[in-house]
Amino acid sequence: MGAFLAKRFLGVLPVIFGVSIVIFLLVQLAPGDTATVLLGPQATEAAKEELRRALGLDRPLAVQYFQWLGRVLTGDFGTSIATQIPVLDLVLPRFVNTLILTAASLLLAIVLGYGIGFFTALRANSLFDRIATSCMLMAGSAPPFWLGLVLVLVFAIDLGWFPVSGMEDFAGDGGTMDLLHHLVLPAVTTALGPAAIIARIVRSGILDVLGRAHVRVARSKGLQRRDLLRRHVILNALPPIVTITGLQLGYLLGGALLTEVVFAWPGLGSLLYDSITARDLPVLQAATLLIALAFVLANIAVDAINAMLDPRLREI
Amino acid sequence: MTRYKLAGCLALAMAAVGFIPAGMGVAQAAGTLIWGMPAETDILDPHATGGWSTYQITYQIFEGLVKEDLTDPTAATPALIPGLAKSWTISDDGLVYTFSLREGVKFHDGTPFDAEAVKFNFERFWDESSPNFYPKAKAFVIAYTKWIKSVEAVDPMTVRITLTAPNYQWLRQGLQSYGQPLMISPASVKEYGNDGVAAHPVGTGPFKFVERDQGVKTVIENFPDYWGKKALLDKVIFRPLQDPATRVNALESGEIHMMSPPWDEIERLVSEGFVLTTNENVPFINYIHLNYNFPPMQDIRVRQAINMAIDREGIAKEIYAGTARAEYGMLSPGTDAYDPNFKSYSYDPEGAKKLLAEAGYADGLKMVFEIPQYGTGEIVETWIQRDLAKVGIDLELRKYEWVTYLGKWAGGMTPDIAMNEIGWGMSTPAWIGIVARCDTIAPNGQNSGAYCNEKVDALLDEAIVTADPEAAAALYQQANRIIMDDAAFVPVVDDMQPMMLAPNVKGFVNPPEDWFDLSIVSIE
Repeated sequence: MGAFLAKRFLGVLPVIFGVSIVIFLLVQLAPGDTATVLLGPQATEAAKEELRRALGLDRPLAVQYFQWLGRVLTGDFGTSIATQIPVLDLVLPRFVNTLILTAASLLLAIVLGYGIGFFTALRANSLFDRIATSCMLMAGSAPPFWLGLVLVLVFAIDLGWFPVSGMEDFAGDGGTMDLLHHLVLPAVTTALGPAAIIARIVRSGILDVLGRAHVRVARSKGLQRRDLLRRHVILNALPPIVTITGLQLGYLLGGALLTEVVFAWPGLGSLLYDSITARDLPVLQAATLLIALAFVLANIAVDAINAMLDPRLREI
Repeated sequence: MTRYKLAGCLALAMAAVGFIPAGMGVAQAAGTLIWGMPAETDILDPHATGGWSTYQITYQIFEGLVKEDLTDPTAATPALIPGLAKSWTISDDGLVYTFSLREGVKFHDGTPFDAEAVKFNFERFWDESSPNFYPKAKAFVIAYTKWIKSVEAVDPMTVRITLTAPNYQWLRQGLQSYGQPLMISPASVKEYGNDGVAAHPVGTGPFKFVERDQGVKTVIENFPDYWGKKALLDKVIFRPLQDPATRVNALESGEIHMMSPPWDEIERLVSEGFVLTTNENVPFINYIHLNYNFPPMQDIRVRQAINMAIDREGIAKEIYAGTARAEYGMLSPGTDAYDPNFKSYSYDPEGAKKLLAEAGYADGLKMVFEIPQYGTGEIVETWIQRDLAKVGIDLELRKYEWVTYLGKWAGGMTPDIAMNEIGWGMSTPAWIGIVARCDTIAPNGQNSGAYCNEKVDALLDEAIVTADPEAAAALYQQANRIIMDDAAFVPVVDDMQPMMLAPNVKGFVNPPEDWFDLSIVSIE
């Protein structure tokens, strides 16, 4: 298992390195430059030139990139060009906020997806199955933007159960309960899509295993239903389900960025948007790097879980 | 907050038993105002930022020698009133400004304001030879500093500034949406460095900076030692809420107290009891630069036809839900030279068709219109596209992300582009020089369509050295008439700056400026 994980971790490095190069180049491809943003349209060309020199933007791309990389390897992500705040001070709290939203959504997606998928599989083609599957399909196909607004309209404005936006009540004292209160609607909005997908995979996975020969044999041997499900059905159905769940994590991260806009959740989404419009390269690089890192690590976690579930995978 | 409330209660109790007369002594601070803003603002260094949305915060924290009075909603142009200078004189030749400074003023960090502080600030945004010089500040305050010859501290409470040439718009030019020459605490600049002002803004205004959580909130609070009339609010929280629907929801659920409403929600919000304020004289105009480098545009008939083909009244009424006014000239209503009766080209699609036919385009004409992505969709632009289609102009909209757009606009249009647009303006009529003079043709300035008429430049040169405001206004109006006779631009509408308030917000004034005085606002 140790060697398996070590191998996986080594594979992370080139991925992160590649992502950083792609982001760096993509930003350079976009027209419009940092100097114009920073100095405003009335600035003289000389002033812009001087600023470009001061920021090192006049140097060749490769030089700029490796200088940046060299600093990052020593833990120095630099200062945000637009806000003059150290990049990590800016990015880390926002990243944590995005992770809070993503983790809550993942939990919700797992509970909903596994629960509904499992019970609809056991009662396949019943009325319950049809209603639950259709509901999940509808909820899962709704765009998060629209879904979020509808949830706000019903549960925040009409019923007044939850707040509309943000992570904290500006008039209150904050605290964990306040945060959880603010978390409900955005987490539900982000979770429903992935929950629907997970539910379908769980349902078909369980149905598939239920029809296999070893289950029939176990059943004919008079194994109790609970033991049968636990030892022969769920365990065998899990690996593809875990893989799909892991993939949903990427979707959740991306979905969270969209949900953040609707709920004014102060995560990486709005920071990314602001840093793109300001051509704030240091912030953009750090933020995308963190997202890539989170995504890759989540995939390793999924691989590790699958390897634990299925010994054959550890040999690969 | 608790401190003031306690003090207020004490004062009330003492007044009740006859110790001190009621209403004396204690500032009555009350409440926190939360403002939902459409975007995160720029850095809070007034010398080194240029956006009006940022000034909506910095105006509360910083002051200049001279201020604009933003407490009068009926003024056509904000009056210039004493700020940190209690008075000033201008020499007869218009070159020497002598400011006598207000005594007893303290910065938020407790350090005193005096002539040395003024000198320090001018060194920061103007004097390249000074160790305090900040190039970024100069890039922003340039419209103001390019006139300065010298700055002297005559005595601790007097400052003399000499200009290189007379300019009777100079004081007002310092209060526009470009870097503003407001007074920053020298001690704070020394402590945090020139770049550090961005995150540590220390001024003399009625509110002082508390904290900023980038993308979440900026908090300012009542400055109890303010020299003038103290602010009524305890605190103001500025919250960036990008999504218009989220802003509306947040207002309806009571999470914010004010915001600029999406046009299509105005009627509903008002019917729910929210209060709409507007101002007809905001120094702002949405207009189109016509490109003189695009060959067909060199024919005046084509430019006139475009002006006549666009139904501005329709745009103001239908799209802006009455919160905008059709504009026919380039002088915005916030300037003292604005003439509400001026009309250049009325809506006349038939006349436009005829002019295009005369110019040889009876079979139609293809054009490209560059437009920015700016959060309001492209509803106005598609309206213009439809209007021009009616007279035979096939308009292609080319949309760019804002920063990209700004670069293209400031760089000037290439010959394949027919027109571009922007919403802009200042409360000084000298602003039209920035977009319409021969020597400001992009990239040397913001004359993006390369319009040039020497008669206009001569009139603007004359206007700026004219001391009498009425005579100057007449000159600006003449220049405006020539520009519109040339049909060099298409003024479309001016925005009346709709602000939607919760019913418990009291005392808010929507002034003829793009930012507000929040010291007079209270929450009930």
